[in-house]
Amino acid sequence: MVLNIGPQHPSTHGVLRLKVKTDGEIVSEITPIIGYLHRCFEKHCENLSYEQVIPYTDRCDYIASMNNNFGYVVAVEEMMGIEVPERVEFIRVIMAELNRIASHLLALGTYGLDIGAFTPFLYMFRDRERILDLLEMTCGARLLYNYMWVGGLSHDLPVGFVEAAYDFLDYFEPKVKEYNDLLTYNKIFIERTADIGVMPAEVAINYGVTGPNLRGSGVAWDLRKAEPYSVYDRFEFNIPVGQGIVGTVGDCWDRYWVRVQEMLESVKIVRQALQQMPSEGDVHAALPKKVRPPKGSIYKRTESPRGDLGYYIISTGKPVPYRVKMRSPAFTALSVLDEIARGWMISDVLAILGSLDIVLGEIDR
Amino acid sequence: MSRYLVNIWETVSTLIIGLGVTFKHMLHIRRGYVTLQYPEEKWPRPERKIGFDHNDYNVIRSRLHVDIDDCIGCMKCARACPVGCIHITTVKVPKGVDLGTTSNDTKKRLLVTRFDIDMSECMYCNLCTYPCPESCIYMTGGPNSGKHPIDYEFSEYDRSNLIYRFANISPEEVERITTPPAKPETEGVKA
Amino acid sequence: MFENLPYPDLILWLLLAGLLLFGLMAVNALAAVYAERKISAFMQDRLGPMGQGAGFHAGKWGLLQTVADALKLILKEDIIPRAADRRLFIIAPYIIFIGAFIAISALPFSEYIQVIDINLGIFYLLAVCSLGVVGLITAGWASDNKWSLYGALRSAAQIVSYEIPAALSIIVVVMLTGTLDLQGIIRAQEGLIWGILPNWIIFNNPFTFLAFFIYFISGVAETNRTPFDIPEAESELVAGFHTEYSGMRWAFFFLSEYANMFIVCGIATVAFLGGWQSPVPGFLDSGGWGLFWFFAKLLSLIFVMIWFRWTFPRLRVDQLMGVAWKVLLPLALLNIFGVGLWSLYIG
Repeated sequence: MVLNIGPQHPSTHGVLRLKVKTDGEIVSEITPIIGYLHRCFEKHCENLSYEQVIPYTDRCDYIASMNNNFGYVVAVEEMMGIEVPERVEFIRVIMAELNRIASHLLALGTYGLDIGAFTPFLYMFRDRERILDLLEMTCGARLLYNYMWVGGLSHDLPVGFVEAAYDFLDYFEPKVKEYNDLLTYNKIFIERTADIGVMPAEVAINYGVTGPNLRGSGVAWDLRKAEPYSVYDRFEFNIPVGQGIVGTVGDCWDRYWVRVQEMLESVKIVRQALQQMPSEGDVHAALPKKVRPPKGSIYKRTESPRGDLGYYIISTGKPVPYRVKMRSPAFTALSVLDEIARGWMISDVLAILGSLDIVLGEIDR
Repeated sequence: MSRYLVNIWETVSTLIIGLGVTFKHMLHIRRGYVTLQYPEEKWPRPERKIGFDHNDYNVIRSRLHVDIDDCIGCMKCARACPVGCIHITTVKVPKGVDLGTTSNDTKKRLLVTRFDIDMSECMYCNLCTYPCPESCIYMTGGPNSGKHPIDYEFSEYDRSNLIYRFANISPEEVERITTPPAKPETEGVKA
Repeated sequence: MFENLPYPDLILWLLLAGLLLFGLMAVNALAAVYAERKISAFMQDRLGPMGQGAGFHAGKWGLLQTVADALKLILKEDIIPRAADRRLFIIAPYIIFIGAFIAISALPFSEYIQVIDINLGIFYLLAVCSLGVVGLITAGWASDNKWSLYGALRSAAQIVSYEIPAALSIIVVVMLTGTLDLQGIIRAQEGLIWGILPNWIIFNNPFTFLAFFIYFISGVAETNRTPFDIPEAESELVAGFHTEYSGMRWAFFFLSEYANMFIVCGIATVAFLGGWQSPVPGFLDSGGWGLFWFFAKLLSLIFVMIWFRWTFPRLRVDQLMGVAWKVLLPLALLNIFGVGLWSLYIG
């Protein structure tokens, strides 16, 4: 039987369509059909100035817009050879990590929803809301920020942000235990996720899967450590990897668990960044008069909550980029779905899909 | 067999822990709820000044507003807009017509006959507000609504109502200003 | 109660009783939905339905929310998909509804209030409870929708499997009380046991204690509620067997779901928790209070079901069957054996 999951389906995380061949409940082939959310991001970029691209990067991975901005501005800055002030770097890291926590909260919450647990979802959204409040305080927007600019930030941190951020971190850390009690170590949840959709490290690497999905398979690969950009080399944090605590390394539970641990690591990074951040500094100091990178091209990748987010930018020396290509981590994560979800049941396919944490805005662009 | 029993025990114990968590939340609902009863209660408005210094920059993403009296028609905002939702038409005025000055004491040279912002197209990136030399476009309350209560509620029944027309000058007035003062001798030549 | 009435009066009586039962089911659904909304909201740090605005609003604390919902469902357009098997599609909700309705008619609400007192009461209830599955399969098949079909087949497998541990646990009760009559079972649970505890079957011995939980878990599964809600698992099967239903037909499914909860909790109350017996003999156990005790026990069980739903994730279909056949069934058999030994040597 050919089953059509999506584009309107409660748990496809956006408008994704999965063509699933099934034999009873067992799935024998999955064909993801994408493109329902295609908005011509890359074509738009060819007609917009470098600054104007930034709000469009927001809209790719709309769950973690700060990280998308981050990757893009880092790439353009490297092309132009801009040294940004230290304060800017720290603020960027704080924002990116807060947004990473928010993104992971959403991923974990909706994952719980895929498995059928409704309450953790709302707890996580409650806490995500507080991060969004912090980000709103900073730049006025709750989801699509356009906060990081080439060479700086749109404006400085608001008065009282640091205290509010510490407040949030103190509030957030104990909450992780609650999630663990309610969902992570729940036996039903473990039954549904452990040993399901095992992605061996080789498969993950062959498909180019990155981020928490790769780390869930036991590969300690994190661009923040491997190729430190910005000021990530100044912080102490661990790379959590899947250990197969309740099942096999690389199963759904490991991917989930890696995200839980990563939130705690992000909390650590934000704390350190708040402490080390220079209290003075003009965030506009290094803003170029005109963003016009010299002729040439660059490929720069950063660690977004979903993995290696790469921007390939070709400049012809005009104020408009010749080409901007975005390497989407969610796209590669989706491509591995067929490989790891074959032979499982329909419920498992949705559990595996949820554990890959894809965002269709980024896949279709 | 022992694995079987351990499994049952793990199931029961972890499920009871989970039940405990939700029950605790239910008991503590009075001090723990996060619902905002929307039409009655509203989100606290950010307590920040509206200004263009960095310490009190208005970081609200809301409606765009233009102080049209300060606009010099330089079109910088329209060029900065990634989606092109700002439409400005300016008319050159003949020599000798004084349009006055802005609050920054810049002399206005162009008559802004049309300054439309289609808020249904706006993507709230705030990019238009930065290049403005007169700081007269910014995000806050509705069109020409006094000195700007910040609100987030500007949904409309008709999409055309989301096109905010800021230029408040009538066509007759445009005609009057742009018509060069009548000179009797040139009239004679024409005839 | 009214077997000896003359014919026209009998019809009147039955009509009256039927109307009352229907009213009970409707009120039960309204109240349970409201409770479910509020409890889930409180568990999730929300407030749930709250109406306080001007104009049309849902009453204080959203009390009228479910009434408004019911009104909406009645007024809603009735859509029958073109590809559906029309006759079966129309009849399916009523089959489920009738299953719930005739089951509820045998429940003893108090010592005096019971519509039909059958001497095979508990047997009848168990039999009638599984009638609903016919409706589910019909609905799933008639909708001509793959999701509905999956839901229907899953629910068929699930309900049939969970019938067995449920019935085996009830056998324990029958063994101890020696009767199939519901009133008889309740009367057998009078008094105290071990001086402090009420002489309810659940406290009779460790095996019956376990039997209660087996029955209750099976009951949760039979009513298709989380963690066993795979027939309608909204994140997998959209809405399962009632994907294509809308308006009043959907409302009948809904009504029956809550009625089924009521019945399952009712059976548990009667069989294990002493029905309308007061927990302390002699304390408030006169006629009217029986009704109170019955509903108090029943509603607290419904609360537990709601509590389950808003805490647990959902099992997978094969794990669900695994729980029934590998865990509950052996334990239920063990229980029968244990109770037999207990009543021979200890009790």
